[in-house]
Amino acid sequence: MTTIALFGNPNTGKTTLFNRLTDSYAYMGNWSGVTVEKKVGMIKNTNFAIVDLPGIYSLNPLTKDEAIATNFLLTEDQDIIVDVANASQLKRNLLLSIELLEFGKPTVIALNMIDSLRNMGISYNRQVLETAFDCKVMMTNARGNKGTQQLKQELLAEDPRLPATHFSLTYPSSVQQAIKQAVRGLTQNYNVSSQYAKWLAIQFMNANDAVVSFVKQHNLRPLLEQAPYYQAQHFDDKIYQTRLNYIETTLKEARETGSNPHTRDITAKIDRVVTHPLLGLPIFLGIFFLMFKLTFDWFGTPLSDLLDAFVSGPLSTTVNHWLIAAGALPFLRSLIVDGLITGVGGVLVFIPQIFTLFACISLLEDSGYMARAALVMDKLMSKVGLNGKAFIPLIIGFGCNVPGIMAARTIEQPKERLITTLISPYMSCSARLPIYSLFVAAFFAKNQALIVLSLYVLGIVVALVLAKIYQKVLHSENESVFMIELPEYHLPQPTIILRGTWDKGKGFIHKAGTVIFAGTVLIWLLSYFGPSGVVSNISNSFTALIGHSMVPLFAPIGLASWQAISAMLTGILAKETIGATLMVLYHTSGQTALVASLAHLFTPLAAYSFLVFILLYIPCFATIAVIKAETGSWKWALYTIISSLVIAYLVSFLIFQGGLLLGLH
Amino acid sequence: MSFIVNFLISAVIIGWAVWQLVKVIQKSKKGKCAACDYKCEAKKLAVEAKKKAL
Repeated sequence: MTTIALFGNPNTGKTTLFNRLTDSYAYMGNWSGVTVEKKVGMIKNTNFAIVDLPGIYSLNPLTKDEAIATNFLLTEDQDIIVDVANASQLKRNLLLSIELLEFGKPTVIALNMIDSLRNMGISYNRQVLETAFDCKVMMTNARGNKGTQQLKQELLAEDPRLPATHFSLTYPSSVQQAIKQAVRGLTQNYNVSSQYAKWLAIQFMNANDAVVSFVKQHNLRPLLEQAPYYQAQHFDDKIYQTRLNYIETTLKEARETGSNPHTRDITAKIDRVVTHPLLGLPIFLGIFFLMFKLTFDWFGTPLSDLLDAFVSGPLSTTVNHWLIAAGALPFLRSLIVDGLITGVGGVLVFIPQIFTLFACISLLEDSGYMARAALVMDKLMSKVGLNGKAFIPLIIGFGCNVPGIMAARTIEQPKERLITTLISPYMSCSARLPIYSLFVAAFFAKNQALIVLSLYVLGIVVALVLAKIYQKVLHSENESVFMIELPEYHLPQPTIILRGTWDKGKGFIHKAGTVIFAGTVLIWLLSYFGPSGVVSNISNSFTALIGHSMVPLFAPIGLASWQAISAMLTGILAKETIGATLMVLYHTSGQTALVASLAHLFTPLAAYSFLVFILLYIPCFATIAVIKAETGSWKWALYTIISSLVIAYLVSFLIFQGGLLLGLH
Repeated sequence: MSFIVNFLISAVIIGWAVWQLVKVIQKSKKGKCAACDYKCEAKKLAVEAKKKAL
């Protein structure tokens, strides 16, 4: 087995390259923070494994996910290192390359996004770079699949002959002397190769936290004893400066002016508008409004209605007839038709909306807008003690809160990380879409997109207000600075959009067969049976008993329907189950019939209050568990459950009672 | 359809649901999303790579 480790700065197209090389697909986005943990793939029909590591600016880890990359070098074996560098940001990218080259393993530098560089009218002489860095340099454009096959062939053909790199930078004499001394001590007493000893020494002098911990753990005395001297002499500054000077000199030498120096800087022109201090936020909201318009008014809902007509009509009737003909007992017939087809089928009819929304999100990601969205939000976020970086986990949370919370690992400050984790569940995840869709169709047919947008915005507002409160309580200082690379805008590629949409949406289909299925059967059983056995009237069932007992509690927020209350309880399993439960409990044959039933049980104000409650109340099991895993304590998970319940109740109460006072109904 | 067949089909449906419920709860405890269970190509390869390495 040959292991290839993919290193690189964030947003250099590393994940795209990984997918090209492995012929597989891993989630990719045109913004920082997508690769949170390392991914492993194989090059087809070979024994070459490729490890895609989180993007890092240097081997000195600032965040949890950056530590994954450094620890991979320290503790795991790798035969070849591929360093993916953004060709148009070489000065910064090569700083990491030098650290990797010093490690001494066979290394290939892939200058990715080479087309963007050429569009800027610049190119670099490959041979000059290869000589300067003593390694193979390849030009690639992973998005356009250019140069990737050559890179693959290079990796496959050269192994195991790809030579180890002998790159060695000449540091100032005091540093050189100290390295020499440390290497001597390490090789003599600790059985390490001189190359590895040299790399360890340089990283240690450079105050790399992961390496310092490693050195302490292994009690490498030649380094530990000299640590105060290294610090006093500011070796880290000297090392950084030497590397930077070397890169600048090399790039100057390698740079060639391309044939087209007069490129139109479209990216800059678009950015002047979309990141404008005043226009940025309205444009961001406008884009989301358009997304919901497409999802609910123009494309998703009409398709969904067609699907619903099929599921509730021909499918349901045919299966029922078939079951009667086959001699199925009423219990089994009801379980399949009233339970599974109504519940699971009732949720599956929302596939067009879910996929439309995911396609829009994939399109935004691939175009490069998401990084701008984070930049626009930075100003707003800084007012509550967070910064634009915290917006990335939040926006991932719009898809699903679980990966959103996991993405909070990219935030350096522990308190900021905790705050982001705690406010993430208030982001309206896609699992809430089916229930929104049902209710907006029933009560707000003319303003569907606007009502859904208002819920998303409310989620963000509640999250920001809470962040401000947490900032005061936890005394979190906004020390970290938000830096995000703004990638050039790309014309979105259909294959990437399709794959991104499918990757995000297939989880929904999968859930229909697992958790939604389970929730539906559970609620059907609870509604088929009651304390006295099989019930003919659902009002005597267990579900009704549970729901009824809570009606007085929810009356102040406008909820008088025991069915809705029971549905919220199953929603803790997974939010999609709320819709399935309502279908089963109202015994309706489909979405259209349910919409008609709901209109008798809710006023528009009560319906909105219900949606707000669904938006803010207890997150699903998986989210609670991931909060526990990320904060390392059940205390925070429990806190999330209680606080979200209280906040949901308070906000719904204010909306419902406030609305009544204003004369709404 | 005999009573036994009716019973068996019902038992399979309910049994599957209960099993899924248990799985969801167990997985949630590990901090995994119910949506992340699908065996994507990369995950399968990772498992194979791990086995081969052992």
